[in-house]
Amino acid sequence: MDFYFGLIQLIGVHTLLGLSAYIVLLTGQVSLAQAAFYAIGAYVSGMLTVLAEWHIVPALAVGGLAGAAAACAVGFPALRVKGLMLVIATLAFGEGVRIFFFNFDYQIAKGDIKVGPLGGEGFRQIRFFPENGWTTFDVMLFIWLFVVLVMALLWWFDRSRYGAVLRAVGEDEVAAQSVGVNLTAVKVSAMTVGGAIAGIAGCLYAHYTTHIEHASFNVLVATFAIAYPIVGGLQSVFGTLAAVVFVQGFLVEGLRELGDWRNLLFGALIVLAMNLRPQGLFWRRGA
Amino acid sequence: MKKLALAVALALAAGGTLAQEKTVRISGFGAKTGPVRSFGINSEAAMLAAADLINKGGGVRLADGSKARIVVDFYDDACNAEQGISVIRRIAGTDALVAIGPTCSNVAEPLFGILQKKVDDPGDTGLQFPVFTDVAIKIGLARISEWAFRNVPNEMTMYSSLFYWLRQKYPDLKTVWGGVEEDFAHSRTTWHVVMKDRATANNFQVLGESKWLLADTNFATQVREMKKANADIIAISAHPFSMCGALKEMQRQGVKPKVLVGLTSSSSLETLQGCAKQAQGMIIPTSFAPVNKEAKFAAEQTAKFKGTADLHSMAAWENMFILKQVMESERISGDKSQIQADRRKIRDGLAKLKVTKGLLGDTKRTDDREADKPYLFVQARGNEWVVLHNPL
Repeated sequence: MDFYFGLIQLIGVHTLLGLSAYIVLLTGQVSLAQAAFYAIGAYVSGMLTVLAEWHIVPALAVGGLAGAAAACAVGFPALRVKGLMLVIATLAFGEGVRIFFFNFDYQIAKGDIKVGPLGGEGFRQIRFFPENGWTTFDVMLFIWLFVVLVMALLWWFDRSRYGAVLRAVGEDEVAAQSVGVNLTAVKVSAMTVGGAIAGIAGCLYAHYTTHIEHASFNVLVATFAIAYPIVGGLQSVFGTLAAVVFVQGFLVEGLRELGDWRNLLFGALIVLAMNLRPQGLFWRRGA
Repeated sequence: MKKLALAVALALAAGGTLAQEKTVRISGFGAKTGPVRSFGINSEAAMLAAADLINKGGGVRLADGSKARIVVDFYDDACNAEQGISVIRRIAGTDALVAIGPTCSNVAEPLFGILQKKVDDPGDTGLQFPVFTDVAIKIGLARISEWAFRNVPNEMTMYSSLFYWLRQKYPDLKTVWGGVEEDFAHSRTTWHVVMKDRATANNFQVLGESKWLLADTNFATQVREMKKANADIIAISAHPFSMCGALKEMQRQGVKPKVLVGLTSSSSLETLQGCAKQAQGMIIPTSFAPVNKEAKFAAEQTAKFKGTADLHSMAAWENMFILKQVMESERISGDKSQIQADRRKIRDGLAKLKVTKGLLGDTKRTDDREADKPYLFVQARGNEWVVLHNPL
C-alpha cells in the first residue's frame, strides 16, 4: 500500500501547486513564477526543520508566508504588465529564484556532518517525517489535510463576492474597473494567495522527497503548475484535482510500463483531452 | 481417446511443475527516457544477460537447498526524483528482494533519503528495502542510508591517480582548464570537488572553468573562454551529449590542448558514436574496459540483449552476481511470505562484504557501503577506447 499512499501524497502536492496557479488564472493572468514560490517554501521550511529543528507545522506556516511575501513583492511590479509580458516577467523571476538557489550555500555542522543547502548539489536530509516516526499513511493524511483546506478556501472564494470579483477581472478587466474594482488589489491579492499555496506545496514537496535542488523548480514545474488548472478547467477547483490525477496518476504512473511510448502518449493524450474537453476535464455545461 | 487423456495428463503435470518453479525477483530502475536514457537501457540489458546466465547455471540456491530462477524487471524513472521515489515504493510493494539502480545521482539522493537511515532504528519509519546502485556515481551517497549500497568507482582515487600519472608523464604541463556540465549533480561534483582538487594537489595550476548545461547545444562562448585561457590540459566533466557538442565547438574554434581529460561516465560507446573524431586522444579513467576474457564475455552477453558494455552497465552485471552470492551465503528462503526477512538478509549480507569479484579484478568494499574498484586509463583512438595505462 505504501506505493499508493506515496502516489496520493504526490498527487496532493501537485494539486496544491496547480491550485496556486488556479487562483491567479481566475484573474486572467498567466504566471510562470509559481515554481519560484514553490522553491521558496521548500527551502525556507526545509531549513527550519533541518537547521533550526522546528516542527513541520510552524515551518510550513513560515514557508507559506515566505511564498506569499515573495508573490506579493513580485505582484506589484509584475502586474503592471499583462498578457505575454507578464508571462515573460514571471518566467524571469522564476529563473532568477532558481539560479539564486543554485548558488545558495548555507550549511552548519550537526554532529560530524554538515547540513543545509549546498548550491548546485542541493539540500539533502530533509527527513522530518521518517525521523519523527510518521508513516507513509500519516504523511498522506497530513498533506491531504492541507489540500482539503485549500480547496475548501478556494471553493468558498468562488462563491463569495471576492471570487466574483476575481472572475470579473479575468473576464474583462476594463469592465471590472469601470464598476469600481481595484485591479491592482485584486491581482496582487490573487498572486499573494497563490504564492502562499505554492509555498505550502513547496514545504510538503521538500519533506516528501527529502532532497531538493535548483533543478526541482525549473520552468517545466512552472508549466505543469499552470497546465493543471487549464487542463482541468477553471470552472471549479475540482478541475485542477482531476487534471493532476489524470497527469500524475494515469499518464506518469499508470503508463510507466510502456517505456518510450509513454512520452509519446503523454503529449497525445493531453492534446486529445483538450480536444474532447476544450473547457477542461471538469467542465459542466451551464454550471 | 487414451492418447488425448495422456496428453492432457502430461500438460497438467508440466503446468504443475511450472507453477511450482521458484523465482526470486530483482528489480532494476533508471533512466530509459531523456538525455541519459542509454544508461538505463544498457543496465537493463546487462541485468537480463546476467540473470540469463545465472538461470542457465541452475539459478540461485535457497535455504532449503532448492533452486530459484532469477526474474528481472526494469522501471523507467526518467532521471526524475519524484518518479524515482514512486518507482522504489512500487518495487518495494512487489515481491522484489532488492533493487539495482538508479541512473542519476539527483534521483539517488532523495531516494536514499526516504530509506531508513540506520537499520533497526524504531524511531525511523523510512523504507526498509535494499538498493544496490550501479550507475549514480556522485561521491558519498551511500552514507545517506544503511539500506543503500553502491558498486560505482571511486572518482577521487581515479582522478588522483590520473593527475599524478600526468604529472609524471608530462612534467612540462602546468595549467588546467575545466569544462563542466553545471546542472548535472555528478558532473558538477566531479569537477568542483574531485578534478579541480586533484589537479591542484598534483601541482597543476587550475586557471578556471567554462560552464554549460546538460541540454545546451551552443558552446561558442564557453569554448572562447577555453581558447583564451590556452591551458595545457582541458578536463571536461560532462556526459556524452553535451561533451560532444563542446568538443565539436573546440574543433571549430581550433582549440587543441596538449592533453584532453574526460568524465568517467563518458568512456562509453555514446561518445564514440557522437564524436569519435573530436574525442581522439581523450584520456578517461574507467572501471571497465573489455581487456580480459571475463570482461569480453560480459560485453558479448550484454550485446545479445541489445545493450552496450561500459563502466555503468557492467556494474549492473557485477551486482547481479554479487547478489546471487549474497542470497546463497545468507540462505534466503525465497518464500514470498518471508519477503521482508529475506530483504533484511540481503542487506546484512551486502554490509558484510569486504571484497567482491569484479570484471577487472577484486573490488574492495568500504565501511560506508561504497566500492573501491580497480580501474584503468583509456584513450579514444579511432572508433574505440583503448587501454592507455594500468596504474594498479
